[in-house]
Amino acid sequence: MFRFQSLDEDCTLEKEEGLVEEEDEIDQFNDDTFGDGAIDDDWQEEHKRLAELEERKNEGLGGLGLGGLGMGGMGGGDASTVQLPPPASRVPHPSSLPPPHHSLSSMPPPGLEDRGGGDLAESLAMLILGADPAIASVGGPTGPGDRSTGLPPPPSMPQQHQLPPHQQLTPSGLPPGPLHPSLLSYQQHQHLLRRGGPPMQQMNSHNIWENNMGFGPVSVTPGLVTQMEDSPLMSIIKEVGLPNRPPPVMSEDGRDLSERAPPPRSSSPVIGSPPVRAVPIGTPPKQPMSHAMNHHQQNSPLCRPPFPAGVGPVLSQIQRAQMLNSQVAGFPRGCQGPPLLPGGGGFRPFFGQPPPHRMGPHHNHVPCPIIRHNTTHLHPQHRRMLTQRMQSRGGERGGRVGDWRSRDPYSNLMTQREKEWVAKIQMMQLQSTDPYLDDYYYQNYFEKMEKRQERDRDGVRKEHTTKLITPQVAKLEHTYRPVQFAGSLGKLTVSSVNNPRKMIDTVVTSRTDDEEKREKQVWNKRRQILYTVEKMYSLLLEVQDFEKRFMQTPEEQREALLEQHKTHTLQLYASLREKEWDDRVSDEQCLLIMSVRKGKRLISRLIPFLPPLQAAAVVMGIARNLPALAKKDKQDQALCWLVEPVAVVISSLSSAALTDLLQELQGSEGQLSKVLQNKFGVTLLYLILSEGERMQSSDLNCQLMDDNRWTELVFSVTRELLNVPPSSLSPPLFTPPNLLSLFSRYVDRQRLELLQEKLQISSLSR
Amino acid sequence: MPLLSGLFYSFFKSLVGKDVVVELKNDLSICGTLHSVDQYLNIKLTDISVTDPEKYPHMLSVKNCFIRGSVVRYVQLPADEVDTQLLQDAARKEALQQKQ
Repeated sequence: MFRFQSLDEDCTLEKEEGLVEEEDEIDQFNDDTFGDGAIDDDWQEEHKRLAELEERKNEGLGGLGLGGLGMGGMGGGDASTVQLPPPASRVPHPSSLPPPHHSLSSMPPPGLEDRGGGDLAESLAMLILGADPAIASVGGPTGPGDRSTGLPPPPSMPQQHQLPPHQQLTPSGLPPGPLHPSLLSYQQHQHLLRRGGPPMQQMNSHNIWENNMGFGPVSVTPGLVTQMEDSPLMSIIKEVGLPNRPPPVMSEDGRDLSERAPPPRSSSPVIGSPPVRAVPIGTPPKQPMSHAMNHHQQNSPLCRPPFPAGVGPVLSQIQRAQMLNSQVAGFPRGCQGPPLLPGGGGFRPFFGQPPPHRMGPHHNHVPCPIIRHNTTHLHPQHRRMLTQRMQSRGGERGGRVGDWRSRDPYSNLMTQREKEWVAKIQMMQLQSTDPYLDDYYYQNYFEKMEKRQERDRDGVRKEHTTKLITPQVAKLEHTYRPVQFAGSLGKLTVSSVNNPRKMIDTVVTSRTDDEEKREKQVWNKRRQILYTVEKMYSLLLEVQDFEKRFMQTPEEQREALLEQHKTHTLQLYASLREKEWDDRVSDEQCLLIMSVRKGKRLISRLIPFLPPLQAAAVVMGIARNLPALAKKDKQDQALCWLVEPVAVVISSLSSAALTDLLQELQGSEGQLSKVLQNKFGVTLLYLILSEGERMQSSDLNCQLMDDNRWTELVFSVTRELLNVPPSSLSPPLFTPPNLLSLFSRYVDRQRLELLQEKLQISSLSR
Repeated sequence: MPLLSGLFYSFFKSLVGKDVVVELKNDLSICGTLHSVDQYLNIKLTDISVTDPEKYPHMLSVKNCFIRGSVVRYVQLPADEVDTQLLQDAARKEALQQKQ
């Protein structure tokens, strides 16, 4: 743990060997934080004090101070998991560590001159400037390729900084990673990266330890302050004003909180989950502070100590923000939270960030933001719909556009990088190797919509649909194997977020089909039917997806896929057909399946995928059993789903088959009347007749009339139609137009008119 | 892995831009346009209004909101925006995947 030195009485950090016992310090800090010693100062006073100190130190030290501003983030009872091994063993320089005093500023450590542990700083700087390696593979808003922007290597990380302590860390079991965010206060970073040069040389790992969890609210290294003209603290000081003391540096006028660096955060090492990274996954990115960037784009929270609120920060971020922005600007749409819909590779934050600027005296406007959607990852169809919608709604709001420029007090709380980082972490979880499978509903929904639209607007060229862009990185499987000692019972498991505790050690035993069948026999018959239907459905879905997959597989594997497809199809049919006869559908099976609504749906979807012969057999089966089916369908009324696929089949039948079909339909005695009572039945009948008529009128060599069967059948149909009372004649789903011409061949005029009336076939609908 | 509950995520994604009513476990019902959803089924709504008689006056000025997924009880959807057959198929596929 840390050793620090109390800074109570005076701010002399010159004490060389003042390593104090840790426990005392903790108690002390506790006290200071929560107990009697708690400081209740006005932040302004602290500012004042600090500024005075700065002056003093300025004279005393000159040059760069490190942010010896470590404000006891560790000691203050904060449950930080950052562990630093005792400095004594690692840091060559035994100089004292200026104790982070949580309430007040501390002097920059005297050990500035020390060079020990320098390499650590260098590697830290690399981490600071680079991307979080954990998420490097995830495509993000700027993409991995954009890392280069504004990330110059640290200008002059002194080479003499060695890294012995760094290496020594690892064997002790603690990853070095978590150290780095806290090792340099943000002030240090800023300075490092902005100024470079000589000041760097004075950096000291020793001081790095000192600054563990950051820095005090008003503690600013004098050196830093004087040299950094655009320090965020200065801007605060300037704005808030230091009574009785002119600010040493004038920062730009109108500077607001556009510069805030995130406070060094604690991050827990990822224990127990391989691989242990140098930078644990929970580490937020550091600020890439290039010269060019820091003026405008850096949003750094100002001096915010990351420990309990009992310790008085200067101002909470929000307070500060609100102070500077005199008005509240309504809904904080300025927050660039990570997009809620991280579906794709190239996203940008959802709510557009208007450039922050001073708010004018607009008190009474409630800005009405035009919410911009991030649509890059959406299906193009979806995107189109959304933009249309936006346009129609945007028109109403056009008049109030101007207001969105007003200041938002919640803006700039997170830097762009941070937002991207958080978003990428979310995106990590969405890495998918097969977006079609993982995102089945969404993809298909919009494909269907597109097809529908194409059908409606024939000939209008739509843009070529592109695939959904989800990061196609293969998911890396991290399996955690718990440590096991020889001869012991059980395994030693270190649980973490990434591998939660295993409660039960189970082994999957798979059962054979036979056993399952035996069990099922005990079950309810209906359940069995449903089970069969579901099995067929999974086969059907496979068959349905075949085409898509076929396109995706390489040449060599296409044969195999084709074979598989055929097998599936056969299997599907096999479950329907008669045991021995290949061209006839088992009545019993058919009835069973169709007794359930799901089954009817299944059949209707299945038919298009069957080869024509088998499809015809199925249709025959349906026709044959129609009365029974009709009876069972009374509740569901789902037979009508079958119309479409059946119609397709019928139109491809040969004349002989058609005749057979008609015969099946009439089958037994009284069947036809029953058929006519059912909507589907009537429709089916009409379809058959219409097809026959089409055949006759279009194809002169039609064999329909070769034997008398067709004619006779039609006769009987017409007879039945004429005889049946109108009440028991169900209206069909639709009436084919050529029925009239059909009947006109077979019946005389009088009957024709009767039929016409009965069936309500108008003579115009030819 | 959140993606295993991808069915709902996928489903809600297709409803982005539509008007929905979200009923929370604290009995608050919020009507709004679905702006976005994430893999935890957190929901962002825009242009919201409290559907029930406004006994939640603190919501009067709120235009947009973020709802944590775990507090949602129901989401009422427009029926014609849902393809039930596709939903069934997606569920079947998900079940198959789970088995494997």
